[in-house]
Amino acid sequence: MDSHEEIIQVMNLVKKYGDFSAVKGIEFQVHKGEVFGLLGPNGAGKTTALEMLVGLRKPDQGTAIIGGFDITREIKKVKEVIGVQLQSTSIFDLLTVEEILHLYASFYPKQVSISSLIEEMQLADKRKSRIKSLSGGQKQRLAIALALVHDPWIIFLDEPTTGLDPQARRMLWDIILLLKKKGKTIVLTTHYMDEAHVLCDRIAIMNQGELIALDTPSRLVKNLQSDSAVEFRFENESNEVELHEVEGVKQVRKQKDVYVLYTDDLQITLTSLIQMAADRQLKLADLQTRTATLEDVFIHMTGRRLREE
Amino acid sequence: MRAYWQLTLSQLRIFLRNRQVLFWTLAFPIFLMVIMGSFLGNGNGISLSIGVVDLDQSFQSDEFLTTLMKNKAIDVQLEKSKNTALNKLKKDNVQLVVIIPKGYDAGLSEIQAKTTPYKLPVYFNETNITASQVGLQIVNNIIDGISKDKVGYQPLVAMDVKGVETLNLKYIDFLVPGIVAMMIMSNNMNGVAGQIAAWRERGILRRMQGTTLKASTFIAAQITARLVLNGIQALIVLGVANLIFGVEVRGSWVTLISFVILGTLAFMAIGFIIAGIAKTPESAAPIAGFLSFPMLFLGGVFFPIKDMPEFLQPIVQILPIAHLSHALRETMNVGASFLSLGTEALILGGWLVGAFIIASYTFKWE
Repeated sequence: MDSHEEIIQVMNLVKKYGDFSAVKGIEFQVHKGEVFGLLGPNGAGKTTALEMLVGLRKPDQGTAIIGGFDITREIKKVKEVIGVQLQSTSIFDLLTVEEILHLYASFYPKQVSISSLIEEMQLADKRKSRIKSLSGGQKQRLAIALALVHDPWIIFLDEPTTGLDPQARRMLWDIILLLKKKGKTIVLTTHYMDEAHVLCDRIAIMNQGELIALDTPSRLVKNLQSDSAVEFRFENESNEVELHEVEGVKQVRKQKDVYVLYTDDLQITLTSLIQMAADRQLKLADLQTRTATLEDVFIHMTGRRLREE
Repeated sequence: MRAYWQLTLSQLRIFLRNRQVLFWTLAFPIFLMVIMGSFLGNGNGISLSIGVVDLDQSFQSDEFLTTLMKNKAIDVQLEKSKNTALNKLKKDNVQLVVIIPKGYDAGLSEIQAKTTPYKLPVYFNETNITASQVGLQIVNNIIDGISKDKVGYQPLVAMDVKGVETLNLKYIDFLVPGIVAMMIMSNNMNGVAGQIAAWRERGILRRMQGTTLKASTFIAAQITARLVLNGIQALIVLGVANLIFGVEVRGSWVTLISFVILGTLAFMAIGFIIAGIAKTPESAAPIAGFLSFPMLFLGGVFFPIKDMPEFLQPIVQILPIAHLSHALRETMNVGASFLSLGTEALILGGWLVGAFIIASYTFKWE
């Protein structure tokens, strides 16, 4: 159907922990040179899926072909062509940036130049610093540098920007886009919708161990079939409001006391909403409108927010 | 191979940069050695004071006192009356009391004519039997010497005393090899268990598992780095022992180092088992402590194994620390060869192989 070379083919991958199935037979392909996002709420199975792909867990069923090698039979070959940055892993605090990169490079038959890698990851002034003294963003860039020491084709990043401040996140986005420009294939998981929108060429949404959607970010939003969202609260709470009666509303959602109406015709819906509120003597508060986002797609599909408060 | 060297180097760097751990793992054995060595290091651990009451005040009694004082093993205290002397004995301030009764001089002068010897009363405290026995032996020898001298006795047969090892061993000679063995045990068993469990908890091992690094390379590098560290630490302890107490290594260094290596490997293997069993790094320390603490006291580190009660002997005899400390002791004190320590080497080797087999089953990367 398309001219893309498929560098990762996931086939019916299953992982069970006792009676609980963390991953229930997912299938997808990743094209060479794209940034592929894996999204889902906590416990959706993203990390488990990723860990099976990089050889940290054995799948109970199914397999995947990565860079031409089967993960169940040729995991050593697979590890040579992939680089991984894992969630919540740490490295030896007492070594310096340069030392740890040389150490990890020594694990592989092929290496890149460590000094240019340090430049590229914007760690030049931290070259001789101990890992202990790095900031969160610097540590995360180092973790990505460690994934790149052997010049892999495919890079797996598990929640690379979780816990970083906005500036450090932007810096990391630039690095990911730079890697894409250099022709690397990137598979990442994230909690942030804006991040997925900016970085990813295609997004797979996982929920309860299953893949429930896979498309480009813009097409996913389009499939929601609603362009806009209207958000508001009622100052005097009333349970008897039938918001579906508001004109143009395709879907109603309530999070705590905030209502979200999805519509294709913002003007009609707004007019109708205000009229209804006036008729029933309800006071609207915090009224705002916005275009529908991936987050809305996500809530629409899973019934849950990505990040639960 | 590059991965092996890089990992060994990294591990050594981590050891060296972890100043506090480095300091305390060395400070503790040295501190223990200096303290125990200073208190008990010289002599045989028994101090003897003998109270003497001289009621005769004659030439002969004076001569007896001089002979007694010449003996360096005892401390002679002159007492005024029998009662004060016996009170001191009861309080264990002195271990023996010798009374020289009035008429001792006269009694000795008549002795030539008589066949029954003159009786000299000697009191001892039954609650401190070891010291009293040694003291009685010494006093007996002195009295024997005096009476032989008086009668002009010429011995027909005499003992020619030859110690098998012809060495003058003190407690410190016993202690230092024990301390080295203790250090090897705690640094490796407790050290490996704690470190591996912590690395696993923090995901360091998992991250390495994501690379093409082989587990065997990782473990080999761990072993090498720890051998280097242990070797240096053992040398420092031996150096301090030599400087302060003049303890020396009489046997071959090759044998000594062989046993340091064997001990390190055996205890590391046990450490790997503990790391495998421990669910969290917090539980690794108590488990290691549970094993190392009894070994410290039962394994012949501070006290000879033969002093242990009979029912503990079978347990004590299979402890790896017992054989390590014994082998180090024989090498350092007596100069035993590696071949003569075959049993020790075999038992430590058995622990090493057995523990590594168990460790390979219990070991988990995550």
